[in-house]
Order: sequence, then C-alpha cells, then structure tokens
Amino acid sequence: MSNLNIEGVKKNTFDAIVIGSGISGGWAAKEFTEKGLKTLVLERGRDVKHIIDYPTTNKFPYEFEHRGEPALAIKKENPMVSKCYAFKEDSMHFFVKDKEHPYIEEKPFDWIRGYQVGGKSLLWARQTQRWSDFDFEGPARDDFAVDWPIRYKDIAPWYSYVEKFAGISGNKDGLTELPDGEFLPAYPLNAVEDYFKKSLLGRYGNRHVISARGAHISQAKQIHLAQGRAQCQNRRLCQRGCPFGGYFSSNASTLPWAERTGNMTLRPFSVVESVIYDDKLGRATGVRVIDTNTKEVTEYYAKVIFVNAAAINTNLILLNSTSTRFPNGLGNDSGVLGKYIAFHNYSARISAEYEGLKQFTTDGRNPVGGGYIPRFRNLHKQETDFKRGYAAGFSAYRSTAMNTSGIGAGLKSELQSKRLTPWRVGSHMMGETIPKESNFVKLDSDRKDEWGIPLLKISVDYDDNDVKMKKDYIEQLSEMFTSAGFTNIKVNDASQAPGLDIHEMGGVRMGNDPKTSMLNKWHQLHACKNVFVTDGASMTSTSTQNPSLTYMAFTARAVDYAVKAMKKGEL
Amino acid sequence: MERRIAIKQVLIFAGGMALLPSFLRGAGKVSIQTKNLDVSAEQEKLLAEIAEIIIPKTTTPGAKDLGLHLFVLKMIDDCYEKTVQQKFMNGLKSFEGLDAAALKQLVIAVNSGKASVAEDTRSFYKLMKQQTINGYMNSKYVMTNLVIWELIPGRYNGYFPVKA
Repeated sequence: MSNLNIEGVKKNTFDAIVIGSGISGGWAAKEFTEKGLKTLVLERGRDVKHIIDYPTTNKFPYEFEHRGEPALAIKKENPMVSKCYAFKEDSMHFFVKDKEHPYIEEKPFDWIRGYQVGGKSLLWARQTQRWSDFDFEGPARDDFAVDWPIRYKDIAPWYSYVEKFAGISGNKDGLTELPDGEFLPAYPLNAVEDYFKKSLLGRYGNRHVISARGAHISQAKQIHLAQGRAQCQNRRLCQRGCPFGGYFSSNASTLPWAERTGNMTLRPFSVVESVIYDDKLGRATGVRVIDTNTKEVTEYYAKVIFVNAAAINTNLILLNSTSTRFPNGLGNDSGVLGKYIAFHNYSARISAEYEGLKQFTTDGRNPVGGGYIPRFRNLHKQETDFKRGYAAGFSAYRSTAMNTSGIGAGLKSELQSKRLTPWRVGSHMMGETIPKESNFVKLDSDRKDEWGIPLLKISVDYDDNDVKMKKDYIEQLSEMFTSAGFTNIKVNDASQAPGLDIHEMGGVRMGNDPKTSMLNKWHQLHACKNVFVTDGASMTSTSTQNPSLTYMAFTARAVDYAVKAMKKGEL
Repeated sequence: MERRIAIKQVLIFAGGMALLPSFLRGAGKVSIQTKNLDVSAEQEKLLAEIAEIIIPKTTTPGAKDLGLHLFVLKMIDDCYEKTVQQKFMNGLKSFEGLDAAALKQLVIAVNSGKASVAEDTRSFYKLMKQQTINGYMNSKYVMTNLVIWELIPGRYNGYFPVKA
C-alpha cells in the first residue's frame, strides 16, 4: 500500500508546475522546459491545438449564420461577455460564457475570460509597449500604492529576450517614456495618421503619434520559422486563431516550443483548487487539482510553482490556499492579498472627420490598427489636478460612401459604389488607475462553483481621479483634433464598467516590504519562496501600456531566477 | 401545416446550408425554421417579393436569387427583441393582399418616406430594408463578384492613391 502511494507521488511529481497556459503561463512553460525541467502545465479549460482547433479561421463572412452577430438569446444569457468587442460568431467559442462560470459583482465589473489552452492569448489585441522608469517610478514619485521593487534596467534585457522570440513590429522612435525594443519592421502610419503626427509635433513638440507596436510577424526571422510561424498576412481575423501563426499566442508559439522539448506535460480540464502548503517543511509542495469533467481530485507535486492563472483567478487560488501557517491565503501575512486591484480606464473615445488628403486611401489591412499616442500628461512633472495620465489609440480610415435611401436597380448600383467618404479618425483613452485598498476581490463565504471552489466577489470601481482624467482626455484630444483641422468632433463618454478593458491587475502586488506587499523583486511570495506569480496579479501599479509584453518579460526573468536558485539549492 | 413539411425538408440539410452558395438555395421553395416568429408560407412569399423590389434581379442576381428574405427572417427571428419582432410582423400586414403593381407602388411610397403609414409599417420596412441590404452585401455572390472581400490580403498601404 505504502509502495503504491510512493509510486503515485512519484508519478505526480514534476520539477515545476505552471498554473495556466495563457500569455504568461505559456512563457513559463517554454522557459522551464527549455532549461530541462520536467514541467506540468495545468489549464482549467479544454485543449486548443494550433490551427486544428481554430474552426472558424478560414470562413468567409457569409458562412456565419448571422454574419457575425451573436444571436439575442446568447447575448441575454451572457450579458457581460457580450459587451466585449471581440465576442462575435467567429470567436464566441474562445470566451467564457457568464452563465457557466458565475461570479459576484459587488459593483459592476465585466470579467472577460478565456478558459482554454492559450487562454486570452488567442484573443488579445496584440499591442505591445515597454514600460520605462516613468512607469516603474510612478508610485514612488506620485505617492500611491508602494514602490516597485524593480526598475527598467532590471527588466530591459528580458523585454529584448521575449520580443525577439514573440516577434514585435515597431519603429525605433527614440522616446524615453516608451523605450525602443527589438523590432521587426513597423506597420506604417497611413496618410492621415502621419499628418496628425506632424500636426501634433508642430503644435506641442512633445506629443507623439507612433506606429502602434504589436505582436505581429511583419517579417519572419529564423526564430519564427523555427516555431512554425510565418509572416502575418494582414487578415485582421486574429480572434479566430491564426493559421499562419502571424500573431503571438501561446498556442502558436510558446506551447508547441515547450512541447518539442519533451519536458512538458500539459493537462487540460484541470482547475487548481489550491496550492498545498506544508506547515512542517515551511514551503509549498504542490497543487490540488480538480478534473473539471470527472471532478476527481488529484495532487501534483513540484519544487517550484508558478501561478499564472490570469490576474483575478491567481488571486482566487491564493485566497483559497489556506493552511495553519496562512489562514488568510497563501503568503498573505500582510493582509493585502486580493486588494489594490486596478485596471485601465477605457471609458472615453472620440471621433471626427478630415476633409484633406483625399488623394489617398488605404489598401489591405493594418494588423496593429494604426497609431499610438504615448502618455504625455504629468510625464516629467505634475501638471494637472489628477494623478498620472493616459495613452491613446489613434487611427484613420475611409469607407465606401453609400447612399442607401434609394430602391431597386438604383440602390443596387449604389451599393457597389466606389466613392469614398472623407477620412474618419478615432481615438480611445487608456488611462492609468490608482490601486486602492477599497478595490478588492475576495472569496464568498457561502456560494461555491460546480467544483466546490468558493465564488469570487469583485468590488472594483472608478474614483474621482478617473473622472478628472477622463475629462482631461476629452478636452486634450478635442483640442488636438481641432488644431489638426478635424471637424465634426464627437465624444463618446462610454462609461463602461471596469473589467471590459480586460486589463485587470494587482491583488498580489510586488514590493520591497513584506508588510505591505505579497511578492519580492523576483516575483516570489515573500513568505513562501517557491511560489511565484508573474501574471497581471503581480502588478504594483498599472501605468498606461498594454500589459501583456511586461508579463512575458517578468515571466522569463522569474523562471531564469528560479532555475538558478534551484541549482544553488535555494529552492 | 404545409409549412411544417417545408421546415422538415429544410432541417435535413440545414447544417450544411451556410456553406451552400446562397443562390442555389432558391427562392420561396424552401423556408427556414423560425423559433420566435410565426410566419405563414404566404407571408414568406410576400417577404420575398418585397426584398425583390428592394434588390431586383438585373444583369446580376436579385434578392430572390440570393434568398435574402430567408436571411431577413433568420435575423429578425434570432437577433431582435420580442417587441421588435411583433412590430415587424404587424407592419408586414400592411403589405398583404395587394397585387404586384399595388405592392410595388406601396413599397416605393414607404421607401420615399412620403406615404402616411402606421408606425409599425415604417418600422417593418426600415428593418426589412436594412437586413435585405445586410444580406446582399454579405452574400457570397456580392463578396466574390462585385465588392470583393479578401480572406488573405497580405498587404497594407497607408498611402494608396485614389484615382481621380
């Protein structure tokens, strides 16, 4: 009997366990397996194999029953996820349905999730910007949250490392607030995006429009071909999964790479109930997994555990990992676990028209969408009555002008019109929000999900700083548009709930002081050194950049540290 | 109960329907299964006639050839609130019982916005026209012959010259 148990334990023992297979989990899997560690990758959802499991990827619009529009019954059953711009007939199968995975909103929060191998890396908007010290030094300079335990120099080489592998398009723009990276050729700004860039520089000197930097292979290098990926074909159907591997996803890139080492065991349908902490050994020994189909509970063991379940679920797992030593959640001596949740304020957009440059239009599609305006507000010094600032998207396009008022043969020929509208321009804000103790997630004391895991309560809201910042975005962008000669300016004060930005962060924040933070500068739990968190949960502050690239770099850096520490016998 | 039979016939190959070239589906011969709308075969025929007035057959296929009225029905049935569906079915009644010439005259009058008609009639027509155009622009025929939609553009030019 005891022999059997020993055999069982041996069979379920790995060098490393990675919880989650999305952007950061995929990177942890690649790094560990490449370094020769036997690695178990746990994914709560089903498997999604690159290309094979992209059922809609080569469909034409007329092959969708409602030409893309989700049926009303589906929208009504899934009021939260239906608000997501990418939730359409071609990609619905990659989103969590609200009904299947309920949570409790103490305040409105649209929690958008992708439970499958690859997670939301299949669905992301692929915008990738580095942080700079303007971002890492933000909390210390502007007196909020806690100081980041790292600076740009710590992470810069790891940005380079992940950028080369993932494939990031961009220009070397020479901006200290948005450091240059290892870029493939940029997707160029179009005529009006370029015009706006020049207009802003002329008027302000320090406000920039750059080509959006994105995880698209604009020119395939050997390292991308070796992953089985090819040049992006400008389809802009990314949310379906890309048969060319033209954009970065775990499915196209890190996971197959990890698979090829022979060191990865990928286990789908495996929801982690908790991390097991051994009070006697004073360390985590493994994880308790529930098979989502059979509900069978299995324990897996490893020397090191990476929690990459996506920000909010990483909080849930740690909160649910209680022991004598940690009655309030793993590593939670400080009491900050689940608190200081923040996000990006996406609640305003602005559009207009431009009558000039009619000699040009666009041809083909720009996979990264157009331009990006890095943060200019409160950058070098405090200049407004709110803290921090916002980045903004900016893009311009022309459509076919169609007059549909007619009927019959006249209408028919009008529908084939090749006349173009004037240029239309649009921008959306991406504001930094300030992490606060009052924005938190916690476990519900009564209600449980289908697998017996407590439901999560989410209590996250905007504050006055967000309101002031939004007003400033609208004022500044209106002024910038007006000065460029754009007309018919329309403000859409979208007022969307937090969550829909899909940039939720924090709850397991990094910091120097174990009394006020969860993780040290290597992403280790201060109080349980063999557990690491490198996804959005680890964010001390949010700044304005799209966060995924930073999670990739954090993960590669933390695995490197973990493996070195293991070799030294420190873990 | 004839409609039930038609529904059964359609169900047999409904799974593959989305993949069929839409002009092969034929007009009025088959109907689709509706979950919420109660549409008679007569009404379905009428919808086909109205769609054909909006997008007639010329040197290229028209609404009937492309089965656009079935697409409209599908959309109204699956993608709209009950109140909208009721208005649609109510509004449709104003077009019933007319001969071809009278029907065409009424549709053209409503389209021009000049005819003084009931609110439901106007709502019906607005939606009917909108979804007929949607179905037309998103039909295989149009997307592969007239206004080409590319699955794999493989290029982007932000300074593409416009021919004067």
